Amino acid sequence: MGGRRTGQVLLMLAGFIAWAVQFTVIYAVTSTLCGREWAGATILGVGSVQAIILATTLAALAVAALGLLWSLQAHRSLGEAAAAPDRFMSQAGALIGGFSLVVILWQGIPAFILPACA
Amino acid sequence: MNVPERSEAFDPREPELPNPLPRPAGEFEALEKAWEAPRGLSFITAVNNTYVGLWYVGTAFLFFILAGILSLIMRVQLAAPESDLVGHGLYNQLFTMHGTVMMFLFAVPAVEAASVYLLPNMQAARDLPFPRLSAYAYWAYFVGGLVFFCTIFFGLAPNGGWFMYPPLTSTKYSPADNADWWLLGIGFIEISAIAGAIEIIVGVMKTRAVGMSLDKMPVYSWAMLVFAVMIVIGFPAIILGTLLLEMERAFDWPFFIAERGGDPLLWQHLFWFFGHPEVYIIFLPATGMVSMIVPAMAQTPLIGYRLIVLALVATGFLSFGLWVHHMFATGLPKMSLSFFSAASTAVAVPSGIQVFAWIATIASGRMRLTTPSLFIIGFLFIFTLGGLTGVMVAMAPFDWQAHDSYFVVAHLHYVLIGGMVFPLFAALYYWVPVASKQALSERVGRWVFGLMFVGVNVTFLPMHITGLIGMPRRVYTYPVGMGWDALNLVSTLGAFTIAAGVALFIVDFARRFRIARDENAGNVWNAGTLEWLPNANYNTRSIPIVVSREPLWDQPNLSRDVQDGRYYLPGTATGGRETLVTSPFDARPQYVLQVPGPGWQPLLAAVFTAAFFLLLTVKMVLLSATCGVLAIICVIWWLWDTDPGPVRPPVDIGGGIVVPVYATGSMNHSWWAMIVLMVVAGMVFTCLIFSYLFLWLVNPAAWPPQGVALPDGSRPFVSGALYVVSAVLIAYASRMLRGEDRRRPRAVPVLIAMALPCVAGASAAELWAQWQTGLSPSAHAYGAAVYAIVSLQIFFVLTSLIMGIYTIARWLAGRLDSVRRTTFDNTMLFWFYTIGQGLVALAVVHGFPRLTGGV
Repeated sequence: MGGRRTGQVLLMLAGFIAWAVQFTVIYAVTSTLCGREWAGATILGVGSVQAIILATTLAALAVAALGLLWSLQAHRSLGEAAAAPDRFMSQAGALIGGFSLVVILWQGIPAFILPACA
Repeated sequence: MNVPERSEAFDPREPELPNPLPRPAGEFEALEKAWEAPRGLSFITAVNNTYVGLWYVGTAFLFFILAGILSLIMRVQLAAPESDLVGHGLYNQLFTMHGTVMMFLFAVPAVEAASVYLLPNMQAARDLPFPRLSAYAYWAYFVGGLVFFCTIFFGLAPNGGWFMYPPLTSTKYSPADNADWWLLGIGFIEISAIAGAIEIIVGVMKTRAVGMSLDKMPVYSWAMLVFAVMIVIGFPAIILGTLLLEMERAFDWPFFIAERGGDPLLWQHLFWFFGHPEVYIIFLPATGMVSMIVPAMAQTPLIGYRLIVLALVATGFLSFGLWVHHMFATGLPKMSLSFFSAASTAVAVPSGIQVFAWIATIASGRMRLTTPSLFIIGFLFIFTLGGLTGVMVAMAPFDWQAHDSYFVVAHLHYVLIGGMVFPLFAALYYWVPVASKQALSERVGRWVFGLMFVGVNVTFLPMHITGLIGMPRRVYTYPVGMGWDALNLVSTLGAFTIAAGVALFIVDFARRFRIARDENAGNVWNAGTLEWLPNANYNTRSIPIVVSREPLWDQPNLSRDVQDGRYYLPGTATGGRETLVTSPFDARPQYVLQVPGPGWQPLLAAVFTAAFFLLLTVKMVLLSATCGVLAIICVIWWLWDTDPGPVRPPVDIGGGIVVPVYATGSMNHSWWAMIVLMVVAGMVFTCLIFSYLFLWLVNPAAWPPQGVALPDGSRPFVSGALYVVSAVLIAYASRMLRGEDRRRPRAVPVLIAMALPCVAGASAAELWAQWQTGLSPSAHAYGAAVYAIVSLQIFFVLTSLIMGIYTIARWLAGRLDSVRRTTFDNTMLFWFYTIGQGLVALAVVHGFPRLTGGV
């Protein structure tokens, strides 16, 4: 599998990879800060847990959005003679990017409703 | 010897039949002879998928029956209050074995088994790329599974529930061997599942019909690909969990004992990180089956192919974000619970996408109400109900009310029976004509469906109420007057109705199923996919070009032309078994894979592997170790004839396409398998590091505990340097082994021999460094975690040593040179992985306590 194909796979899965990283980070951070009783600290006036979740969620949303946009761009730039797998992967990348945006947002919302460590 | 990924001679958009008629005399006979099954007693040494796949499916179904019988005994016990048919001790074993056998010995093996049979047919490959690995996985499962099941007859069956929570399963509360049977028996059957998953990933990616690019792959192949990747990611967690619990029970390493710094919740995390994806691991192949059956029954292409692929991949990802929803009642912070609640609701979306796609396909075609159709309609109804109650228990507040009650029993059976058993029965009715001389009876099939559908709903629908009015799961009886009597009686009647349906199926199967080797019942459903091509031991006579997802609908005369040998590789190029390896994305021919044939090696290796684990359970250590050594010898014996090298010049497979009969590097199928194996190993290691960090988190003042000193700061650098030197030596050996001239530099075995003591010395030095400090693995969870990391590394180092010595042996035997170097490449990959893991382990064990303020 060449570098171009590896890049295509990563681009196609970018949204879900972003979700996986977001999920791992926010769960690890919440568990660690609450477990070690470090959650009292604030960052720019926002509780440390919420601040980190917000930053992680925004970063993940950005990656998913880029995955969506680049996949759409890649799809548009494919000519008539493009190979079918290329078309398929760019379409799948766009679908995954769009769906991931919703999932990542959904995943981050609880941080702004619930207390950090209760 | 590599070939370019693209071959200009092939254009799938303008398919022309690559091979002319008439075919040369003797070509077909040679192909048949190469794939002939062994006769007599040696019959059990057959390895090709048409045999192993059927045995595998049959064995999985046997376990379905056996576990079903256990459930009937439980239902009889619960039919009336205060019943004394079975006591609480046996009841504990019954429900533990029912869950364990259904999940580990039926559900996962059944879907893996079906794919062993179906995937090569569906992708027009001659076989899976590692048939001996399939045979090994099957025999290990068969022997291990049957011995494991027999423990119920001796009162030795596990009795701690199918999820085996400590401290109930710790030595203190379960001192007998029952729990060990689960930990060692099931632990090694998971290894068999992983072997199958590696086979499936490489099979899907590398052995497809020419032109079957990613966008034309059957949905079933996609489902099995996601399934196998999920096994590779999820199963290592439970393998590690079982290892830790067994080490605690055998050596008193307190990973889960709270008094000594352990935490029972660690087990729950490890178990459910595997356990929840497990539900999707068995559900996704079933959806793949449904996505193949629905278009055939509706006689129209599947609607929403891309969306269904998206849904499969989405489920694969999201299902790893759900595990804590089994732990909602453990007191974790609410925000943590909410992350899992969010993911648990999100995962319903991809399932919904698939359900709507199937409904749309049914609506757009003319659905024939055959038995497979009925089972699919039943699946849609039952699974959707189970999914709805799943969304209910995904809400933490509701789950707190329903937790450990019969509501959960109802939910999980609706999901598992609806989501897996009904599609499997649909699949049996649908695909039996591929393997049998005649199809199953449609008339009897309707009765089977009717009894099972009514039975499932009569059994499990009342359980929602039984649970909501307070009946806890896993109680062996209940007093009169709780209001549970009538509901339980109805459930018992329902269970026997299901049993009647299954019994009817068995009768019909026995009457009509007759194994077909070359005269199957044919394409009785007028389906469009390749498994319906005429087939035999070698699967298809020639390997077709496909231009759509339903080639049999879109390419007239395909069956006849394939059978006449007009497509690729219509005979045998090397005189032995072969299949065509194609590129993973656009399915262009790359090389002819020389497939190993029948042999006793995988069977004996599996028997000795099973014996190693099972004898360990009953503490027969010496005999167990002997079996372990014999298993390794059998594996080496098995591997010795593989990696045959380029036994002949590149071969013309038809249409002017000339491909080699051997390839190395990233094009080689075993390179892919080794990469997947490294992912498995990496996941085991990651889970161990997670365990280490988790135990640190629950021991805020003791990492390391009072009185424990860390080894001197220079020690990890000594070990690290030895690791790096060994890696450099192997890399240099690889460099010397380059060239198309089949050179055999003498320095290669010398360099490998020099690397062996370096890597061994590195891990020994690390063990010595820890031991010298007086660190005990049983005094505190810290020591247990450190020694667990060191032990895992030693295991990998030992494996690397065996591989290194084996590679030297091949050089000495003249079986390794600069072209025939796949064995060396595999050893090198594993070696580098071991070094990387060792360096990370050193950084964690020595660096982390210092980073967090340890002494």
